[in-house]
Amino acid sequence: MSIHYKPGKEPHPREHRLIFKNIDRADWDNGIDCYLRDGGYAMLQKAIGMEKAAITGEVKASGLRGRGGAGFPTGVKWGFISPTNTKPVYLICNADESEPGTFKDRYILHQDPHQLIEGMAIAALAVGAKVAYIYIREEFPHAATICEKAIEEARQRGFLGKNILGKEGFDLEIFVHRGAGAYICGEETGLIESLEGKRPYPRIKPPYFPAALGLYMCPTIVNNVESLCHVVHILRMGGAEYAKLGKPNNTGTRILCVSGDVQKPGYYEIQVGHLTMGEVINDLCGGLKPGRTLKAIIPGGSSSKILKAGETYKIKRGAEVVEMGLEELPMDFDTMAAAGTMAGSGGVIIMDDSRDIAWVLNNLNTFYAHESCGQCTPCREGSLWMKKISDRIVAGQASPEDVTTLESVAYQIDGKTICAFGEACSWPTEAIISKFRDELTSHTRPELADTPKNPVTEKAMASL
Amino acid sequence: MVQDLSTISATIDGESHVIESGDTLLKFVDRHRGRGHVPTLCDAPQLAPYGACRVCSVEVALQPDGPRRVVAACHTPLAAGMHIFTESAKVQKLRRNIVELVLTDHPLDCLTCEVNGNCELQTVAAKVGIRGVRYPAGANHLDRAKDQSHPYMTSDLSKCINCSRCVRACDEIQGQFVLSMHGRGFNARIIKGLDTSFEKSPCVSCGACAQACPTSAISDVFQSKSIEASRKTRTVCTYCGVGCNLNVATKGNEILSIQAPLDSEVNHAHTCLKGRYAFKFVKHRDRLRSPLVRVNGRLQPATWEEAYAHIVENLTRIKADHGGHAVAGISSARCTNEENYLMQKFIRVGFGTNNIDACARVCHSPTAWGMQKAFGTGAATNSVEDLQYTNCIMVIGANPTEGHPVTGSKIKQRALKGVPLIIIDPREIELVPFATHHLQLRPGTNVALLDMLAYYIWEAGLTDQEFITKRCENWAEFEAGLKSLDLDALERIHGVPREKVKAAAIEYASAENAMAFHGLGVTEHSHGSKTVMTIANLAMMTGNIGRPGVGVNPLRGQNNVQGAADMGCQPHQGAGYLQVNDPSNHLLYEQFYGAHISNEIGLKIPQMYEAALAGHLKAMWIVGEDVVQTDPNTEHVKAAISSLEFLVVQELFMTPTAEYADVVLPASSFLEKSGTFTNGERRVQRVNAVIAPLAGTKPDGQILCEIMQRMGLSQPDYTPEGVLAEIARIVPFFKGATWDGLTEQGTQWPIQEGGIGTEILHIDAFKRGLGKFHFFPFQESKEIEKHHQEFPFILTTGRILEHYNCGTMTRRTGNAQIVTEDLLAIHPQDAAMKNIEDQDQVRIFSARGEVRMKARLSTEVQPGILYTTFHFPENLVNVVTSSECDEDTLCPEYKVVAVDIEKVHAPDATTIPALTH
Repeated sequence: MSIHYKPGKEPHPREHRLIFKNIDRADWDNGIDCYLRDGGYAMLQKAIGMEKAAITGEVKASGLRGRGGAGFPTGVKWGFISPTNTKPVYLICNADESEPGTFKDRYILHQDPHQLIEGMAIAALAVGAKVAYIYIREEFPHAATICEKAIEEARQRGFLGKNILGKEGFDLEIFVHRGAGAYICGEETGLIESLEGKRPYPRIKPPYFPAALGLYMCPTIVNNVESLCHVVHILRMGGAEYAKLGKPNNTGTRILCVSGDVQKPGYYEIQVGHLTMGEVINDLCGGLKPGRTLKAIIPGGSSSKILKAGETYKIKRGAEVVEMGLEELPMDFDTMAAAGTMAGSGGVIIMDDSRDIAWVLNNLNTFYAHESCGQCTPCREGSLWMKKISDRIVAGQASPEDVTTLESVAYQIDGKTICAFGEACSWPTEAIISKFRDELTSHTRPELADTPKNPVTEKAMASL
Repeated sequence: MVQDLSTISATIDGESHVIESGDTLLKFVDRHRGRGHVPTLCDAPQLAPYGACRVCSVEVALQPDGPRRVVAACHTPLAAGMHIFTESAKVQKLRRNIVELVLTDHPLDCLTCEVNGNCELQTVAAKVGIRGVRYPAGANHLDRAKDQSHPYMTSDLSKCINCSRCVRACDEIQGQFVLSMHGRGFNARIIKGLDTSFEKSPCVSCGACAQACPTSAISDVFQSKSIEASRKTRTVCTYCGVGCNLNVATKGNEILSIQAPLDSEVNHAHTCLKGRYAFKFVKHRDRLRSPLVRVNGRLQPATWEEAYAHIVENLTRIKADHGGHAVAGISSARCTNEENYLMQKFIRVGFGTNNIDACARVCHSPTAWGMQKAFGTGAATNSVEDLQYTNCIMVIGANPTEGHPVTGSKIKQRALKGVPLIIIDPREIELVPFATHHLQLRPGTNVALLDMLAYYIWEAGLTDQEFITKRCENWAEFEAGLKSLDLDALERIHGVPREKVKAAAIEYASAENAMAFHGLGVTEHSHGSKTVMTIANLAMMTGNIGRPGVGVNPLRGQNNVQGAADMGCQPHQGAGYLQVNDPSNHLLYEQFYGAHISNEIGLKIPQMYEAALAGHLKAMWIVGEDVVQTDPNTEHVKAAISSLEFLVVQELFMTPTAEYADVVLPASSFLEKSGTFTNGERRVQRVNAVIAPLAGTKPDGQILCEIMQRMGLSQPDYTPEGVLAEIARIVPFFKGATWDGLTEQGTQWPIQEGGIGTEILHIDAFKRGLGKFHFFPFQESKEIEKHHQEFPFILTTGRILEHYNCGTMTRRTGNAQIVTEDLLAIHPQDAAMKNIEDQDQVRIFSARGEVRMKARLSTEVQPGILYTTFHFPENLVNVVTSSECDEDTLCPEYKVVAVDIEKVHAPDATTIPALTH
C-alpha cells in the first residue's frame, strides 16, 4: 500500500519512517476508522495470543532504548517488575514533552493517537497493568482532547475496558492527565507525584525507584510516547528483525527534531546511526543558511552538552578508534556518549556563526532557573545564580572571575541533586564554559573584578 | 570461626563500625560520630529522610581506594562493606558552596535574631567554614512580611531556607497539611492554607513546624528556640491521658517556653497546643494566693495555720458527732499518684471510711470496672506505640484528634499509610475522612451496634476458636446470646445499615492484628460498663489480645485518671485495686496503715450528693475538681454541697464549687510540683517541678501531709520519692517502682522488682485467669424512654482541641483567643424545621432545665442529633444533663440527653419604637 503525504510534507528520501509513517499523510485523520483501515490494533490482537514474558522478550530482543532522553533499554525496564509482586502495576506514558528543542511526541499525539494507545495496551499487557495514564503537559491542550477522544473510540471498539478482545482478565483503562505547566513533571518521579495530586517534587532514589515504589507506592513503568509507539512496530517486525534497523546497541529508528540555523528545520525519522551530523544538516535540512558557517550543535535536547565546530572526537568503530570531526559523527546513542554528550530526546539545535555564545548560555540558564522545582538547595539557588551571572556577562557587567564562579556553581549542582534536573541545568554551562571560555571572557571587563561582591553579606559574615 | 567483618560493618573515614538494619549513612555516622559531625539543613530526626539540602553529602566507595561517589547521607541506605568519607576536600567544598548559596538570601542579622546561638544554619555555616560570599547582592526575599496574626504561631519567612521541614512536620507528624510550598525554583515559598496567615489558616497550633524549623522562619510567640533560658526541665503534660513529655525552658522562676523532647517515647518531639503553649495560666492574676476561710458567711483570706486549725476543729467535731462515714473525699485525676495516694490514705485512715472517689467516676470508671470483669485489669492492654504494628484500628466513641491530639495524629498517620480505620461515632469526627468505615450510630446504642459487630464476626466464621477455648470462658452463653439477636430490631435501634456493620466486622476480625481504642463515648452512658465488656468480647473472640498491635485501649481523658484509680481513689477498692470488703485485703490494709480501716464499700460521687441531701454526709473534701460545673444536673449538685456542714476545696482558681466551700486551700499547678502521673498506657512518668510554687500556694501533696499531721496521723513530710516508696510497698503492680528507676521515659506497670515495666498485658494468661465473655442485650436508656416523646432531640457532648474541660486553665491562656465559645451543632435539616440559621441564639431545654447558646449548622451530626462542647460553663450545659448513670459504676450519662430546641427570637418587632413622622 502506497502512502501519499500532503504536498510539501513528503519524507526526505533518507528518512526511514515507522513511527511517523502516518504523520502528514494525505488521506489520514486521527480517528479510529482511519487507523483500523491501515491495519491498526492488529498487533494488540497478536499480543493477546502471546505470553506476557514473550512480549517483553521481543522488546528486549529489539534493543529498543527509551526515546525520552535517558536511552535506557525499554525491555529491561519492564523486566524490573518483581515476579512476586502482588500490588497493582501502573503504566504511565510520559507525554510531558518539554525539553527545549524537542517536538516529536506532539505530532504522534495530534495525528496518530491510536498508535500510542495500541502501544500502551501491548505494554500494559506485558507488565500486567490494568490502569494506565497519559500524562500530557498543559501546553498540549489539543493533544489531551484528541487522546481522550481516541481512548473513548478504543473503548467502544473493545480495545480498552474489560476482557479486551475477549481475553479473559485482560482489562485496561487509560486516563489522560493534564499537567500544569512544569518542566519537572517530565522527570518520572516528579510526574508520579504530580499524578498523585501533589507538588511534583522528584522522589529520592533510593528508595523510590518507580518499578518498585512508583505511583501510589506500587510498581510503575514510565515510558515516553515514542518508545511506546515503537512497541507496535517491534511486535509487527519481531524483535530480531527490528534490531536490524539502526546499529547494534543503537537499534531502530528515531525522530530527530532539528531546530536552529538550518534551511529546513523540522522532524526527520532516521535509522539510528545511519546519518552523520553533517548529513543531517546538509542532506535532511538543506544545509546552513547562505554564507554561514557552523558554530556549534546541541545534539539531544537543550540539556545535552554542546559540541563545537572544529572539535575532534575519538570514536570507536568496531575494534579501532577513529578521530572524527563534528560533522562526521553518526547520530546514535553510543557515539554521542563517546563525544561527551548525549543523544537525549532527539532535539538537535544547530547554531551558526551569527550566534553569540553568551546569549545562548543565558537563554538556557534563564529556562532552567525558571524550571527548577526548588526542592534541592544547590539547584534552587544555583540555577538562579547561573542565570544572574550569565545575565551580567551578556550585559557586559561581569568580571572574568565571574566566569569561574559560574563554572563552580554548575559543578556544585551537577550530580548533587535528587533528580537529573541538576545535570540538565548544569551541563550546558559546564560545556559552554569549557569550550567557549575565551568568547565568554571577551564579554567581561577586568576592571569590574574589585567591585564589592556583596557588602551586606560580607559585613554580616562577622556574626557567623 | 572469625566472622568476616566486612559483611557486618562499614567504615567512617577509615574506622570500622558494625552496621544496624535500617541504617542510612547519616544515621550510622550520627551514631558513631555524634549528630552534627556530618552537617545537614533539611534532615531532622523526627522527619523522614528528604535529601534536598545536600549539605549532608559524603563520598562513598566500595573499596578503600576504589572510585568514590558523592551521595546524600540522609537517604542513602547503608550497606556492609561501604567506605564513607565524611570530610574529603571535595565534600567540604561542596557543603561550603551550598551554604554560601543559602546565605546569599538570608538576612544575616544573627546578633538580633531570636534563635542566635541555637540556629542550625548558623551552626552549619560555622561548621563548614564560610569565610565570605562570592555572589554580589541581587534579588532576594529579605523583605517578606512577618506573620504575627496568631496568638501563638509566628513566621518571618525572610529567614526561610526552603528546607521544607515545616511542611513535612505538618504532614508527617500532625497530618494537618496546612503548610505547603508555593511557586517553584527561586520563587518557591512556604504558604499557610491557601496562602493566608496562621490565624486564618486551618492550623491547629501544634507547633511541630516551629520546633522543626532550623532557623526562626517559623517560630512561636514564646521564642521557644532561643537560648534565653537558663534551665530546661523535663516534665509531663497535664492536659490529657496521652502523657506527653515536655521540656520546659525557664529563666529564674519564669517559664519562657515549652518544647517536646526528641527522645520521648510517648510523644516523639510532638505535642499539641495545650501542652506546648497553654501554660500562661500558671501566673495568671486569678490564681488563688492565700487560703480562704468562711467567716460570717464570706470567704476571707487567712494564714495557712488559721485555715488548718479551722479544718482540724470542724473535721474532728464532725467525726466525733457523726462518725467517720459522715466525711467524704473527692480526689483529682489532675494530681499526681502520690497526691492521690495520700488523699485516699487521709480519708481511709483519718476517718475510717471508704468514702473516697475521684473524677474517674464521671469518665472512665466503666472502663476500669468493665475491663476488670472481662480481663482482670482495668487498664489499657497495649501501648500507643503499637499503632506501628497493627493492621486495623477501631476507634469507638472517641475523638482523638481533639481529645488526645498526639494519639489522634498518630492514628491519622497510620490511616494515611493505608491501615484500615473503623470509626464508631454518632458524629463525623475529624478522622472520618481518613477512615475506611464510619458507623454513625444513634447516641446511646453502642451495645446494639457492638453486638451486631460480634454477630457478623461470628457469622463469618472469623472467630479465633483456639484462643476462645484456651484463654476464655463463658463462650457458650455468649454464643447463645449472639444467636438470639434480632438483627432487624438492632438495625432499627442504632440506625446504621447492616451491610456497613458487617463490612466493618469483617475488616476488624480478618486483620492479622486489630487494635481497639475507646473514649467517653463508650463509658458515659447508662450501659457504659456493659459496652466496655462488649468491646472486650470483640477482642477476645478474634484473639486480639496479648501481642503487639492489638487489645482494648481506653483513651484516658485526664492526665492521671489511670493513676487516681490505681492509687485507690475509689470507694470499693483501696490502693492497688484490692477490694475493701475482702477480709484478707482488709487485714492487709489495717496492718499496713496500723489503723482502723473500714471494710464497707464507701460512697461513689453521685451517692455522696444523695447522702448529703439526706443529711448523712456532713463534710466533704474536694481536690481540684469543679463539680458544680462539670458534674451532671447542676442544680442537684449545688443543693447537695450547700447542705453540707463543712466543705474544703483545694484549687488553683476560685471556681463555682469553691464558692460553696468553708475553706479554700490554694494549690500549686503541675508545673510547680513533683510526683508521678500514669498515662493511658499505664506508663508511670516523673513530673518535675519546673518553677517554685507561686507565693502563697502549696503543692497538694504537701497540703495533705500537713493536714494529716495536724489531724494526729503519723505522716512524714511530703517528698515524691518517699510517698512513691510507700506506694511500692502496698500497690502490687508498683512493686519495683522507684523514683530513679522510672527513668526519663517512665515505666509501664506492672513494674517488677528491678524496675522492669510491662508493655503488653495478658500475654500468656489474663490477669483474672480466663478472659470472660459477657453477653448483654441492648436496653434503651431511661432518659430516652422517659423523655423522648416530649424532648425529641438527642443532645450529646464532647470536647475540642483548644480547651480543657471547664476551661479553668485553658481559658486563662492564649487558647481563649482561638476558640471563644461553645456552639451547638445542628443538622441543617433540623435547623430549617426549627427556623434556625447559623449563629442564631437557641434555647435548649430538657426535663431538668434550659441553656442558651449559638447554633452552628453542620452535617457532622445526623438529623435529630445535637452536639456541643462544655468548655464554657457559663452556658451551664450541665443544667440540662440528666442524673441517669451507668448501672454498674454510676458514671453519668453525659452523652445522651433528651432535649428540645427553639430559636430565641430577637425582641419582637412591635417592641421597637415605631417610626413617627
